[in-house]
Formats: sequence, structure tokens, C-alpha cells
Amino acid sequence: MNKEEYLKKLAELLKDLPQEEREDILFDYEEHFNIGMEKGRAEDEISKALGDPKSVAKQIKVEHMIKKAENKPSASGMLEATLAAAGLGVFNLIFIVGPAMLLVAIILGLFITGLAVIFAGITTILAPLLQPLFPKLINMSSDAGVWGTLSVMAHGAGLTILGIILVVLMAYMSKWLYKLMIKYLKLNLRIINGRSERF
Amino acid sequence: MIMNTQFKKGVLELCVLVILDKKDCYGYEMVDEISQSISISEGTIYPLLKRLKKEGLLSSYLKESSDGPPRKYYRLTDSGKEKKEKLVGEWETFSKGVNNLLNSKNEELKEANDE
Repeated sequence: MNKEEYLKKLAELLKDLPQEEREDILFDYEEHFNIGMEKGRAEDEISKALGDPKSVAKQIKVEHMIKKAENKPSASGMLEATLAAAGLGVFNLIFIVGPAMLLVAIILGLFITGLAVIFAGITTILAPLLQPLFPKLINMSSDAGVWGTLSVMAHGAGLTILGIILVVLMAYMSKWLYKLMIKYLKLNLRIINGRSERF
Repeated sequence: MIMNTQFKKGVLELCVLVILDKKDCYGYEMVDEISQSISISEGTIYPLLKRLKKEGLLSSYLKESSDGPPRKYYRLTDSGKEKKEKLVGEWETFSKGVNNLLNSKNEELKEANDE
């Protein structure tokens, strides 16, 4: 591969990076070629010594995405970092995306459960009040008396509080999961680099 | 040379910091200097420089060269200097420990041979 081919390939592989970042990296590699050629090395020899542009690009991209996810917590940033790391191999796709999806699904499930419990609680509180208005819709034993009604409302309040606790807990869990995911991606990056990359 | 890359990566970071502590360098210069002592794939140094710059251990500036376009020089920042001191200390402790271990193994072998 000559200089032009190498740089073109690298630029193409890094096209998802912000322009400034990409140009910065390409500047480094172009400079490397230029100085090498001044010293009388062949273009072909330099590109061989630099290593496959694919592995160079992967290394840069993964570090970039993980940095980005660390700096700006966002779902899309996390997804990009996951995909960039997963792009390093199908093996890792299973080991990154699999556990991540499972955890996200569990947290999302519990979050929705929490919301449902809150809704049920509020409905239970309101039921005695609404019952006279919609007697057909809400079926309650009418001989419960005042204490019966109050106990139903207390149950409702309990349910509401339980739901709120669950929702707040899940909000914390998702924050914690985000941090854990970044750690996990970094670990994977280390394993991947250690396994397949020639220094 | 193919060997434990994670280990070598840490060492490469140490090498870059030590070289830049002596004088500001451009990328090629560093590769040249490191290659004289250990074999590295030249391409790995630029992602490393980029990361160290992002972490605030290095800064870079352009400087005219006598021949051709300006070159990008890297300079150690204050926190880069701190990090270098820390890594050098760790390295010394580590290599001393490994050497001790190797020497004591050699002595054992010697004693076994003498008997």
C-alpha cells in the first residue's frame, strides 16, 4: 500500500469521527509518511510498519467512543460505544450486547412494574370516591362501612408508596448500570487488545 | 515481536513520557527512539499520543521544520511530569522485584549443580 492509499483507507474508516478529530489523526499519519520518506524509506515499507489501517482505525474509534460515553452520558453514546467495541469481533458482540440487553430489559421491566403499582394504588384510593359516580364501572361491596372504606384507601396509599420506591430504585439502578457498562466496555477493550492486536 | 500487549502498552506509555521529559518531540522522532530499544508497531504510538493528550498529560504545537511542512511537537504538561515520576517509581519497584526473583532462581540452580 502506498501513502495515498493508506491515508485514504484510514480516512474512510474514520469517517464517523468528528471532522476535527479525524483531520488531527490523519495529520499525524501523513507526517509520519513524509518524514519516513525523507529518510529514504519506501512508502510500502512505512505502511507495513504502521500496521493494518483497519486495526489502527478500530483502536482510535473505540477509545473515542468510550471517552465520549464517559463525558456525556446518553443512550446513543452508550450504544455507539457498545457497537464500536462489538465491532471488534462477533465473539464480543455476544458478551457485550447480550448481558447489556438483559440488564436493560430487567430494569425497564421493573420500572414499568413500579409505574403500574403506583397507578393501581392511586386507583384504589380513588375507588371509594368514584364509586358513587360510576357504580357500574367500579364493583365494591357497599356494606363495608366507613372503616372498610378507609382501610381500602390505606391499602391504596401503601401500594402508591411501594410503587414510588420501586421507580426511584430503578432510576438509581439505571445510573449505576451506565457506569458499570462503561467499566465493562473498558475491560472488554483490554481483553480484545490483549488477545488479537499485535503491538 | 509478539508478546503480552497490555504489558507492553503500559511500558510504551512510560517510554513516551520519559522521552518527552527530556525534550519536546514529534511522533516520528519518538518512534525512532523507542524502536532503537524495543520493537514496536509504529502505528500504535499515535492513538497513544492522542489518548495522553486527551488525558491532559501532553500538549501539542506546530513548529516549522527546515525541510517540508511544519511538524507537530508534543510537550509534557505538569500533570504529565507527575505521572511520569509515578510510573518510573512503579517500574523501578517492579523490575527490582522481578530481578530479585530471577537471581534467586539462578542461585538455586547453581547450588543444585554444585552439589
